[in-house]
Amino acid sequence: MSEPTGPVLLRFDHASLAYGRARVVEDVHGSVHGGEAVALIGPNGAGKSTLLRAVLGLVDVVSGRIEVLGSTPARARREVAYVPQVDTLDAQFPVSVGQVVLMGRYRDVGWLRRPGVRDRALADDALEAVGLAERKDDRFGTLSGGQRQRVLLARAIAQQPRLLLLDEPFNGVDAVSQQALLAALRRLQDDGAAVVVSTHDLALAHLACDEVCLLNKHQVAFGPTEATLTPELLRAAYGGQALELAGDSVIVAR
Amino acid sequence: MRYLLEPFGSPFMQRALAEALLLGAVAAVVSVFVVLRRLSFVADVLTHTVFPGVVIGFVVAGTSGIVWGASVFAVLSTVLITVLAGRSRVTEDASMAIVLTGFFAVGVVLVSRQTSFTSDLTAFLFGRILTVDRQQLVVTAVIGAAVLLLLGLLGKELLFRAFDPAGAEARGYRVLALDLVLNLVVALVVVAAVRAVGTVLVIALLVVPGAAGRLLSDRLAGITLIAVGTALLAGWLGLVASWQASVNHGLRLASGATVVLVLVLLYGVAAAIATARKVRA
Amino acid sequence: MVAAVVAAGLLAFAGCGSGGSDRAAGRSDQIDVVATTPVVADFVRNVGGDRVHVVQILKPGVDPHDYEASPADIQAIADADLVVKSGVGLEATWLDETVSSAGYGGEVVDASRGVTIRQGNGTDEQAAGDPHIWHDPADARIMVGDIAAALVAKDPAGKAGYERNAATYDAKLAALDAENEAEIGSIPVEQRKLVTNHDAFGYYCARYGIRFVGSIIPSFDTSAELSGKELSDLVAKIEQTGVRAVFSESSLPPKTARTVATEAGVQVVEGEDALYADGLGPVGSPGGTYLGAERHNTATIVKALGGRV
Repeated sequence: MSEPTGPVLLRFDHASLAYGRARVVEDVHGSVHGGEAVALIGPNGAGKSTLLRAVLGLVDVVSGRIEVLGSTPARARREVAYVPQVDTLDAQFPVSVGQVVLMGRYRDVGWLRRPGVRDRALADDALEAVGLAERKDDRFGTLSGGQRQRVLLARAIAQQPRLLLLDEPFNGVDAVSQQALLAALRRLQDDGAAVVVSTHDLALAHLACDEVCLLNKHQVAFGPTEATLTPELLRAAYGGQALELAGDSVIVAR
Repeated sequence: MRYLLEPFGSPFMQRALAEALLLGAVAAVVSVFVVLRRLSFVADVLTHTVFPGVVIGFVVAGTSGIVWGASVFAVLSTVLITVLAGRSRVTEDASMAIVLTGFFAVGVVLVSRQTSFTSDLTAFLFGRILTVDRQQLVVTAVIGAAVLLLLGLLGKELLFRAFDPAGAEARGYRVLALDLVLNLVVALVVVAAVRAVGTVLVIALLVVPGAAGRLLSDRLAGITLIAVGTALLAGWLGLVASWQASVNHGLRLASGATVVLVLVLLYGVAAAIATARKVRA
Repeated sequence: MVAAVVAAGLLAFAGCGSGGSDRAAGRSDQIDVVATTPVVADFVRNVGGDRVHVVQILKPGVDPHDYEASPADIQAIADADLVVKSGVGLEATWLDETVSSAGYGGEVVDASRGVTIRQGNGTDEQAAGDPHIWHDPADARIMVGDIAAALVAKDPAGKAGYERNAATYDAKLAALDAENEAEIGSIPVEQRKLVTNHDAFGYYCARYGIRFVGSIIPSFDTSAELSGKELSDLVAKIEQTGVRAVFSESSLPPKTARTVATEAGVQVVEGEDALYADGLGPVGSPGGTYLGAERHNTATIVKALGGRV
């Protein structure tokens, strides 16, 4: 991976998160530069989704700080895009692919107004970027799981974000869609955006991410991919759920 | 064709038709959201919680007080229900059911203290569309305009929230506030409908048109058009049916209820068409 | 949702009346009069004769205290030359709003004008007083007089006929009065006590010296909720006063009357013998006219209480 090129877009300063009085994630520390991709890795329940929501300003930071685009999470939200897991959405909903992507423009369009020519152009470009322009008028639910995930990414791209957060976007996604997702993310990074993606897929992390944050209710490690995805650290993160294979290969249980 | 137009020669039937069409169209648009957001139960709760407001308004200020009493309770219960749905230790269903029955019981107790108890009760629950006066038409029109305005202004945000609440929240939209607005819109339709079809039958107007539209179309615009068309047709045909039955056959068919029955029949037609399509495909 | 649809279904078909269009407008040489109750309609027919086409709103057996006007009713009122009501709040819940909806601008004749109204117990509920005035033939004669005067005013050309008909009918009412008095006189004094379904016979009892012990629905109106205590008080009273029978009515379900009678160990008069309290029987039946219904009532009461008919 190349040296980080951009300014720090996301900084965790010994941040601990809580829901009400229950602390759920402890002491996350590290930074993400423009152009970088960081993988968020850990077992289920480790707090990955919580961490992403905290970056969006939706979870309380009870000690330490999270700095987003030089400001607080809530204030930076305009330029932060979130891509949820596609199976949280109702596949029967009567909305077209094009309409979903256009939703990414709503916040910028503002209350009481309708999307304009520029908004539609941005949406079309975003859909093009994930390789699904020809499916624009189809109902969202008629696409495959991977294709739907790409549409959600297009929605985020239409926002023109500087920071992109993805919650397990590669789960159960076919190879073609996976390629398309990676390509689109790569282009965003080339334009200077930072990407944080939570995933279980270690191979993908190796392939696409500059840094890795290992999480299990507290930060186990945050550093360059090669150095962080070691069997010892993975075992520490996954507890007894990691199995070492011959050499450096490790299988982790979800 | 004459058969379908004949009933509307007298002013009272014209007013009833105007009320049915106005109310039907507005309720149909709202019903699209009710169906998409799976709010049928919430809508049902609201029809029951507005009821004591109807009674109190009537007791305090007679027939013209009904809308005011209903409106106050519409706002109150909307807030209560939205908050309950947002945060609940008991499951959402259970707490809503408690609210529904509690409010409704209060309303029944209050109305039973009136002499004209049974006729008042049936009027509030099932409406008296044939004696709708010009003032009531104005009330319906004003409420209808307010509802359509709200939906028009906030439509895209409501759509976003309906489709992807987590995504909407991530964008910084206050989901609770959006839900409050939609619930309020539903409650306002109930207020507008009290005089015409009553609080029990209005649930049909708030669910069936949208459901029929959903059966026949996959696009929001299509669903809305079909919903509105179905409601308008039901209003017209229902009034025709009850008039023709009464005047030419001496058969009593309560007008508000007949409109609802025609609406359900039209849904049956929509279901048949949808099934036929699936079979052919 | 399902409940709403079922309710709609039941409602829509509730009160499916028998067919029959007395709805059609009358001949051009007739005046169209809309009468609210069967009793008032009967009076109007008797006084109006052939010159009047009567449209009766409330069908036999329908509760007048709680009514929803049908399209045909409203149409009839819209087209009417004259509307006649029984008065004393009997039609209060529906008539005014129906008349204004129909756009009828003429007079609504109150047949109760001039009748001394029996007051209620002072509660708001009974503010208008007891509307069941027609059970006292003397009051019925006043009602007929009011109707005749209204018809004459509306249709002066028919004055002679109306006055003649009114006089004839008035004589029949006077005869009814005398008959009632004689028959009731044959009931042993200590048996002259009445328990009915709702408080509809106040005027009748006052006229003929019968003691009104109580009614199952303690109200002039048929809608009051019955409390367990009120019912057991009534049973106690029945036992105490030695009333021999409980009378149910043609337009109300007899279940509670039966229950009370069984509890108190007395006879229940029901079914075909039920009293005509709020209206008349089906057209063509003995109870289908005022005179027939009142005769039936008296005969039934007298027989049950031990008198001679």
